[in-house]
Amino acid sequence: MYKYKLHPISMVINFVKALKDLLLPIIVLFIANGFNINFDIHSEKFFAEMIPLFILLFFVVYSLLNGILKWWTFRYWFEDNELRVEYGLFVKKKRYIPYDRIQSLNYNEGIFHRVFGLVQVMVETAGNKTGKAEAELTAITREAANQIESEMKKVKHKKVVAHEDDIAIVPAVRVIHKISNKDLVVLATTSNSIGVVLAGVIAIVSHFAEYIPYEWIFEEVAHLLKFGMLLVAALVLIALLLAWVVSVVITFFNYYSFLVTEENNRLIITRGLLEKKRITIPLNRIQAIKIVENPFRQMFGLATVVVESAGGSFGGEKDRRIVLFPLISKKEMFVPLQRLFPHLDLTLVDAIRPPKKARPFFYRLDFIWMVPAIFALSYFFFPYGLLSLLIIVPVLVLGVWQFKTARFKIVDDQITMLYRSVSRITFIAEKHRIQIAQRSQTYFQKKKGVATAKVVVMSGMSGAAAKAYNMDEKDIDLLMSWYERK
Amino acid sequence: MLREEPKYQIPEKGKTVWRLYGIIETIIAIIFAGIISFLTFKFNFPPFVYYIATAVVVLVGILTIWLFPNIRWKIWRYEVREQEIEIQSGLFIVKRTLIPMVRVQHVDMGQGPILKKYDLANISISSAATTHIIPMLVTADADALRAKISELAKVAEDDV
Repeated sequence: MYKYKLHPISMVINFVKALKDLLLPIIVLFIANGFNINFDIHSEKFFAEMIPLFILLFFVVYSLLNGILKWWTFRYWFEDNELRVEYGLFVKKKRYIPYDRIQSLNYNEGIFHRVFGLVQVMVETAGNKTGKAEAELTAITREAANQIESEMKKVKHKKVVAHEDDIAIVPAVRVIHKISNKDLVVLATTSNSIGVVLAGVIAIVSHFAEYIPYEWIFEEVAHLLKFGMLLVAALVLIALLLAWVVSVVITFFNYYSFLVTEENNRLIITRGLLEKKRITIPLNRIQAIKIVENPFRQMFGLATVVVESAGGSFGGEKDRRIVLFPLISKKEMFVPLQRLFPHLDLTLVDAIRPPKKARPFFYRLDFIWMVPAIFALSYFFFPYGLLSLLIIVPVLVLGVWQFKTARFKIVDDQITMLYRSVSRITFIAEKHRIQIAQRSQTYFQKKKGVATAKVVVMSGMSGAAAKAYNMDEKDIDLLMSWYERK
Repeated sequence: MLREEPKYQIPEKGKTVWRLYGIIETIIAIIFAGIISFLTFKFNFPPFVYYIATAVVVLVGILTIWLFPNIRWKIWRYEVREQEIEIQSGLFIVKRTLIPMVRVQHVDMGQGPILKKYDLANISISSAATTHIIPMLVTADADALRAKISELAKVAEDDV
């Protein structure tokens, strides 16, 4: 039994990964020291001031050694229809994964990988509850990766022959969706990730809030105010623009040459410019489909389609949802979706909508936070605080919009729910994928004969919910009875 | 036709235990109010702080000892049928949850010291994505129910 090793570049990759985790402590350390590290050996305080640096150095050396050791001891091999992985010097970690249990092999190619023509392989199993890949081969050659797949196929093929099923199953590869460069640009420029970038900036700023010389800034700002609000507005605008550009670039890199194919009832998604990713999802692990349209994209008839999948970490993706079509025009969306899920009904004809009397419920709850907020603002910032009254308008408009959007539809064993937080979401799931159904009703809803229903499907390690808001309670009870197995 | 409520209520004793929890919460509130009042005294904060602290303690007391247990007890209902479990719960929002037997992954019984004294136990039912509780059942009943659910869940699994 030949035991394979990983490519030596794994050492570097392990090390760099560990360094990344150390980055924040390093930054904090330097800032806490006020950047003036004392290098004067003769100073009395030299050693005291150097202690943090020594600790840091220790951790860096430790992670370097760790990276080397992990590569040195790492072995994987094929035996008894199992993929076997083993590593560790003092504590040996062994993991034997039967081919049958392997759900998919996901590939990642970072910059280091691409230079040497390597891939990172993540082995996913169905019963995996940890949210991490069952086994991870940090860097192996493409041929080695193909070998794993062919080893698995060999065994499976033997089984098929033994069963004497159709012998010649030629796995047909079907291209489901491919992003065009034009769509990619539109996707990047209209992406929501500007929020993410801003949140990141705010998080970093709040993290280092102590070190920001607010007084100085206020003075500067007061000075600026003399130049007029215009300049301030311009500065804010520039900052927003920068955040937007960053988010555009990130999205562009992430979704470059996005391609979805289907092969043997498995979805294969590849994407990425600098870092290439390839994930595989068995179609039968898909729990629900979500069509998301943010208001901006909705105007142009564009949508994003994601799928909720059970278990597995899908290539270390932080998001449990898997993007199926990052950006697709709604007109073109139905053909590929229907090709993947021929049994689903994607229309919304005859969907049940909330009754007119339910409309106030879509904005009523917001007054709970709005009224005190408006009072407080008006009281403390008297004349200008009254402007906060204006917030009522968008909240009401959004509420009415949510009311207009809400609907649900039941056809045979399938439920479609349409709702809006800000983006419009169409949620499609089958009865046997739904984990629980819940009907909820407040005292006020009960008086008006209105109720809300929620269904939960599995998504990664936890659940994803969809709601039918403020429908007639009879319709909600219909939904509950539909879900019951009587 | 509106759906009927689940059949079974939880035992009256449950209300007593909730009251007990309420008393504990009120004591914690009193301790906090005491600390704040002390600080107010020491640092000469404006006197309205005392009133607010007292009002909060009284409010917490009334709500958690008297009102909430009554409402909770009235709302909580459950029913275990062959194919599914139905639980009604809530305080301000009445929630009715349907858990099909096929989806039940495991059932746990939990009992803290207070519950043990009153011979009560909680049952928690886990699906792959969510966990649901039927609280304050008489221990023997809880045990029987747990056994029944796991039996039914096994059968349901076999069917699929």
